[in-house]
Amino acid sequence: MPIPYLGGVHPAAHKENTRRKPIVPLDPAPKQVMIPLTMCTDGGADPVVKPGDKVTVGQVIAVPREEGVFVHASVSGRVTEIGPRPHPWGGQWDAIVIENDFQDTPCPDLPAPVDWERMNREEVIQRIREAGITSMGGGAAATHRRIRQAVGRVDTLIVNAAQSEPYITADYRLLLEKGDQVLQGVQMLAKLLRANRAVLAVSGEKLNAVEFLERRLRRRKRAVELITVQNRYPLGMEKQIIRAVTGKEIPPGQEELDVGCAVFNVATVYMMRLALLKGVPLTHRIVTVSGGAVTRPRNLWVPIGTPLRCLLEAAGGVREQPAVILTGGPMNGVVQQTLDAPVVKNTKGLICLTEAEHAPAVQPETVCVRCGHCVSACPMNLNPAFVYRAIRMGEGHRLPGLHLEDCLDCGCCTYSCPSHIPLQSLVRQARTILAEGEASQ
Amino acid sequence: MTQTQPTIRRMPPQIAQTASISATMLDVIVALLPALGMAVYLFGLRVLALTAVSVGSCVLAEYLYRRLTHQEDTIRDLSACVTGLLLAMTLPVTAPYWAPVLGGVFAIVVVKQFYGGLGRNFMNPALAGRALLMAFPGLMMNWVDAFQRPGLIEGVDAVSSATPMALLHEGIVPDLTVGQMLMGQHGGAMGAAPALMILAGGVYLRSRRIISLRIPAAFLGTVAVLTLLFPQGDRGPVAWMTAQLLSGGLLMGAIFMATDYTTTPVTPRGQIWFGVGCGFLTVLLRYFGSYPDGVGWAILTMNCAVWLLDRAGTPRRFGVRRSQQWLDYWAKLQDSTAQIRFVKPEFRFLARAGEGTMPGEGYLDELKGKAPQVGAMAGVLLCVCLMLYGVNRVTSYAAVRTETAAQQELLEQVMPQATVRSETPYHAEDALSITAGYNDTGLVGYCVEVQSYGFGGLMTVVVGVSTDGSVTGVAVTDHSETLSVGTQATEGEYLSRYVGMSGTIGLEGDNAVDAISGATETCRGITQCVNRALAIVANLSTGGEVDYVDGEV
Repeated sequence: MPIPYLGGVHPAAHKENTRRKPIVPLDPAPKQVMIPLTMCTDGGADPVVKPGDKVTVGQVIAVPREEGVFVHASVSGRVTEIGPRPHPWGGQWDAIVIENDFQDTPCPDLPAPVDWERMNREEVIQRIREAGITSMGGGAAATHRRIRQAVGRVDTLIVNAAQSEPYITADYRLLLEKGDQVLQGVQMLAKLLRANRAVLAVSGEKLNAVEFLERRLRRRKRAVELITVQNRYPLGMEKQIIRAVTGKEIPPGQEELDVGCAVFNVATVYMMRLALLKGVPLTHRIVTVSGGAVTRPRNLWVPIGTPLRCLLEAAGGVREQPAVILTGGPMNGVVQQTLDAPVVKNTKGLICLTEAEHAPAVQPETVCVRCGHCVSACPMNLNPAFVYRAIRMGEGHRLPGLHLEDCLDCGCCTYSCPSHIPLQSLVRQARTILAEGEASQ
Repeated sequence: MTQTQPTIRRMPPQIAQTASISATMLDVIVALLPALGMAVYLFGLRVLALTAVSVGSCVLAEYLYRRLTHQEDTIRDLSACVTGLLLAMTLPVTAPYWAPVLGGVFAIVVVKQFYGGLGRNFMNPALAGRALLMAFPGLMMNWVDAFQRPGLIEGVDAVSSATPMALLHEGIVPDLTVGQMLMGQHGGAMGAAPALMILAGGVYLRSRRIISLRIPAAFLGTVAVLTLLFPQGDRGPVAWMTAQLLSGGLLMGAIFMATDYTTTPVTPRGQIWFGVGCGFLTVLLRYFGSYPDGVGWAILTMNCAVWLLDRAGTPRRFGVRRSQQWLDYWAKLQDSTAQIRFVKPEFRFLARAGEGTMPGEGYLDELKGKAPQVGAMAGVLLCVCLMLYGVNRVTSYAAVRTETAAQQELLEQVMPQATVRSETPYHAEDALSITAGYNDTGLVGYCVEVQSYGFGGLMTVVVGVSTDGSVTGVAVTDHSETLSVGTQATEGEYLSRYVGMSGTIGLEGDNAVDAISGATETCRGITQCVNRALAIVANLSTGGEVDYVDGEV
C-alpha cells in the first residue's frame, strides 16, 4: 500500500502518453548546442575554451567559480561563439556555442573509472564535482556540495523517484530501464554518506517499476528500502517526501540535514554512479517531451545544450499550436518564450500544453467564496485564503502571523482554487511586502 | 541588485482543476434534485410551484440589486439559485406564495448583497430567510402528512399534522420504521422528508469533491452521540437516536446548509469544530428549545462563530509540534496580557474647559455646538415616547373595552337577570364554552355556547339557562344564513320566544316555538341548539359540589 499523504493536489497525471516509450537518443542530433555557463544554483563557471577550439564529448569547457560545478561539452565539434543566449530559467546569459560535427568523438583524457570504495571521501566528492553533477530534479544545486555537507549527519538517505509532476516520466523510464544501476548508485551514495538507511521512494502509480525493482532488490539482499508513496503533487519536494517517508517534519528555519535526512533525485544518483564507475561526466540527460500538443510524445536521451526546438522536432513537432510551452512540469515549470533556449541539467521535461489543457489555468478571477480548498491543499499548512483576505481587503497587519516564509511555491493553492484566484502570486506578493517591512525597520 | 547569474524563475501552475463557482453551484443544484423530486412525489405539484417562486424571487432580487447598484451581474454564478432552492426546501408545502418571496428577497438583499455579495456574507442566506419567516406564527408550523397533496392555489388551510419532529420535541419516539423515515413518509418541510434522497445528494457532492465530510460527519456524529447518551421515549436509545437523525431538517442542514462555503470556516480543524458546535446546539435546542427543530438556529449561531473558529482552527505550522505550538500561544498570550495597563478613565462631558478669552467661554461654545445633537436626540426620544404612549392607549384599551362590552352585551341578551359572568371549569361534549352568570344573590344560571347547522351552514348560538332549567335568553353570535327571512330568525323578536321554556322544545306541538315560515331550517337549528344547551346544563355534574373560586369579570 502506498503511504498516504494528506494535503497537496492530485492533478490528472497524463503520464500514459510517455510511460511506455523507452528512452531513445535524440535523433537527429542537434546541429549546434548552446551550453550555458551557469547550470547550477551554487555558482557559475568561466570558459576555458575559445571560439574556434575543437572539443570532444565530455571535455571540460568551463571551470567553476565559487561552489559551482565543471561544465563539459556534450557533442564533439568546434566552439563557434561564447555569448549571450536565451537561458531556460529566464533571460539571456552567456553560453558556449558548439557546432556539432556528428562524430561524437569521446574525450581521450576522460578520468579513469575509480575504485571509489578505496578512495578518500574528499577525492570522491571532488570527482563528483569534476563530473559536473547537479541536482537534476527541480532545483539545480551542486551535488558535491550537498554530499559534503551531509556526510556523517545523515541517518536516512532518500532517493526521490516520486516525480509527482504530471506528464513527466523520465524518472519512471530510468527506473525501468536502468533499475540495477540506480540501485547500485543508491547503495554507493548511502555508503558515501554513511547513512544507516537507504530509501528509494517511488510514487504509487509507478507500479511496474516497483514490481521490477522488487525483483532486483531480492538479489541485492534488500540493501535498499523501496517505499511507495501516494501520487500527489508536491510530494517530489524535499520537505514533503521526508515527511511521507520518515514522518519527520523539518522545523521552520532548519534544513533536511537537521532531521537526519538527505534527499537526492534518482537521475542525479544514476549520473553520479556513471561518473564514478565509468568516468563519464554529465553531458546528457533524459527529457520527457510530452503534452497534448506534441505529435509523438517520448522520452529522449538528450545532450545538454540542445535547443528545445530540436527536441520538439524529434518528437514529430506539434499537432496544434501549443498554448504554452514549458520546461519542467506544468505545476512548477518555467514558461519558455522561445524554443531557442537549450536543455540544461535540470530540464526534466518539455511540455507543450494545448489550449484546452491550459484554459483552466487562465480563467478570469472571481471572488473568494471561502471554500477552503487551498487550506486543505497547502502541503505546508498555510492559509492562502487569509492571505487573499489580508491583501485584497487591506488587512496587511495580519500577514506576519501567517508563517508565509514556509511557502514552497508549489502552486497547489492556485491549482485548487475554484475561483481561479492567483493565490500563489498573492502569497509571493505578501512575502515581498513582509520582506520590505522588515528591511525598512 | 543586478543579477550575476540566472536564477530559476518559479511560475504559477500552468494547469488547474476545471471547477469553477458556477460549476460547483450547479453540482449543488443537481445534488438537491433527488430530494426535490421526492418532495414533489410526497407533497404534490405545489412543491414545484413554491420552489419556482422561491428560486425566481431570489434570482430576480439578486439581478435587480446588482443592476440598481451598478455592480457586475452575478446571477450566472448560480448561487442565488441555490439559495432559492434551499430556502424552498425549508418551507412547509402549505406555505403561501408570498413566503418564499419575502424570505428570498430578505436572504439575497439583506443577508447577502448588503454584505458585499457572494463570499462576504456571514450568515447562510437561505437559513436567515427561513428565520425571518419563522416570525410569522403558524406559517412554518402548518405541516401536512405525506401524500396529502395540497392544491396549487388553495390548500393553505390544510390540516396540520404532527411531524416526527413535533413528537420528538414532546419526548415521544414517532411510530415510524426506519424505512418510512428514509423515504419520508411523514409530514415535514418539503426538503426534510426524504432522508434517503438527501443522503444521495450528499454522496454525490462528496464524490464530486464539492464538500468534505468534516462538517457533516462532525455534525451528525455529535447529534448521534448526544442523543444516544441522553435518550427519551420508551423505545430505547438507538431508536431515539435514529429518529433524531432522520427527522426534521437535520440531514438537510448537515449536508447542504452547514457545508455552505462562505459561512463556514476554511480551516479543516475549524470545520470540525463548526460541525461539533452545530450538533451540540441542535440537540440543545431540540431538547430545550421552544421550536420543535433547532437545526436552522444552530447553524445560524455557528455561522456567527466562524471568524473565531477560523483562527482557532489554523493548521499547525509545518515542522512545529502541537505542544510547542501551544507553548508559543501561551507565551504570546502572556506577552499580550503583560502589556495591558490600567488607564484611568476620564469622563468629561465638556472637553474644552478653559478655552477662549473669557472664563467659561469654552464651555459655552461647546454647549452651543452640542445643542443641535442633544436637541435632536431629545426630540427623537420624545417622539418615541409619545408614539408608544399613543399606541398603547389606543390599541390595548380599545381592544379590551370592545371585548368587555361585547361580552357584557351578550350576557345582557341571554341572561338579563345576571350582572356579571365568570368562566367555569366545566366542559361538555358539544359546548364550545360554558360560562356562569351571577347577580347579587348568587348563581343565576349558565350560558352555554353551542353550534348547529342552520340553512346556510354552521351557526353559533349562546343559550342562557337558569339554575331551574329554563331558558333565560338566546343569542346568535355567528351564522351564515341568507338575508331577510333567514336572518329574521336570528333576531331578538324570534329569539325571545324561547325565554322561559324548558324541557325538550319541539318545532310544533305543546312545548314548541313556532318556526318562521320560510326559515324553517334556521329555526330548527336554533331550537336544536337550545335543546342541546338545556340538556348540557341539566346533565352538568355540578350538584353544587364543584367548588370553584369566583373568577374575575
